[in-house]
Amino acid sequence: MTETTVVLILVVITALGFDFTNGFHDTANAMATSIATGALRPKVAVLLSAVLNLVGAFLSVEVALTVTNAVVKIQNSDGTPKAELLADGGQALLLIVLAGLVGGILWNLLTWLLGLPSSSSHALFGGLIGSAIAGLGWAGVKWNGDGSKLDGVVGKVLLPAVMSPVIAGVVAAVGTWVIYRITLGVAKRFTENGFRWGQIGSASLVSLAHGTNDAQKTMGVITLALIASGEWTDTKNIPLWVKIACALAIALGTYLGGWRIIRTLGKGLVEISSPQGMAAESASAAVILASSHLGFALSTTHVATGSILGSGVGRPGAKVRWAVAGRMVAAWLITLPAAAVVGAVMWWIGDLIGGLGGALVVFAILAALATYMFLRSRREPVDHNNVNDEWDAPAEAPKATAGAAS
Amino acid sequence: MHNLTLAFEGAWKVLLAGLILGAGLPAVFALGIRSLAYGAGGEAEVHEAGTTGPRGHAIGTAGGYVAFALVLLGIALGITFVVATGFGKALSFEHIYPTIVDKH
Repeated sequence: MTETTVVLILVVITALGFDFTNGFHDTANAMATSIATGALRPKVAVLLSAVLNLVGAFLSVEVALTVTNAVVKIQNSDGTPKAELLADGGQALLLIVLAGLVGGILWNLLTWLLGLPSSSSHALFGGLIGSAIAGLGWAGVKWNGDGSKLDGVVGKVLLPAVMSPVIAGVVAAVGTWVIYRITLGVAKRFTENGFRWGQIGSASLVSLAHGTNDAQKTMGVITLALIASGEWTDTKNIPLWVKIACALAIALGTYLGGWRIIRTLGKGLVEISSPQGMAAESASAAVILASSHLGFALSTTHVATGSILGSGVGRPGAKVRWAVAGRMVAAWLITLPAAAVVGAVMWWIGDLIGGLGGALVVFAILAALATYMFLRSRREPVDHNNVNDEWDAPAEAPKATAGAAS
Repeated sequence: MHNLTLAFEGAWKVLLAGLILGAGLPAVFALGIRSLAYGAGGEAEVHEAGTTGPRGHAIGTAGGYVAFALVLLGIALGITFVVATGFGKALSFEHIYPTIVDKH
């Protein structure tokens, strides 16, 4: 086994690890409201979401090989890696990808620990941007497109991030308001029961769309690494094992459930009822589907959060915890730069040591920090048993969750 | 600043589609619920305490199911859309009813 093969294996494992964190970080986007209103029992909800993510990942046969092209310049437009990065079996490219993935994973884990729903795609792009700046200089990043279409960091990441939560929020607020107007005069128990079904349906649609969108990002990254190291040459197709591995990783992550984030989205932001839940999930599903159809790149997390917030605004007399919303927005703002810093630092460490040793050290740092954060999370565990506890319960320890922590 | 104009162009289309599907379909669903309640009568509708509530109306039940069917149709279209996009196809509405065509 050559050095490059070992580095490649590390990249693949790390990419699957990212896919896994992507899964559990985003379970909340689809299922937080259904869990909060009791439409689905927590375990059933994550299982349903996991299965739909799995199915969704297989439905996405569209080749996402050029996924990194949106933000960094390590690939040609046909998906093949840049020739100058291919010396020594593509080690230069592998290190950039590895460092970028580590940046994405570590940021995903930290925000999960804090119970904040931050965008997994921003974490991935941030990590890649950071490692590309470190490895190739400022010119290694595609900051702006050429003006013919939405492209670059500004067009593919920043602008949609600002706009999509607002759009989703408006749609959800209108939906909620209309629903409450229409069902005025219908007994509350009757509506709650009916809307639970609508909620389950719309949440399922969000899960499916998530699987088709997010799993293929990792598939593209792994295939890029395979091509760079000469293990794969076809730029039109993705190896079947990559597809299966990515689908399983995202589904497994989803099933594990990011309970901390589910709690924040389902209980922390808005006290949610079934009609609101349905309005929020329908708005999310419609906005995600419409924008992927129109080539408007966006983050599922931003959409879901905007929708839930909107459903609180649209319901007369509902309580919205703007402080929690503010913390989320702060997390969104720093996601990209924070992941970029981690990605850059990882690249420098890897480059300083060099070769296989560098990659191994970067991987070891990832493993150590991930273990640390996992152990830290066990101090105040949030799982399917206490995910729905009252947000403001007086008995709750002051540091228990994101909304209460400083 | 070309990106900004392009983004706004995309944004209002998403907003429009979102309002029609993301707020419109739930509204139809809500109409269905209301119609069902009208059909069921009694405890399903808000009424003064102590009385038995209004009588049921069969037409309400029927209307409710029509509304739910419409919503199901909308969801089915949504799923078809996801699957079709995944396989490099697109939904076309040029014949008014949706058909699956190759993506261009």
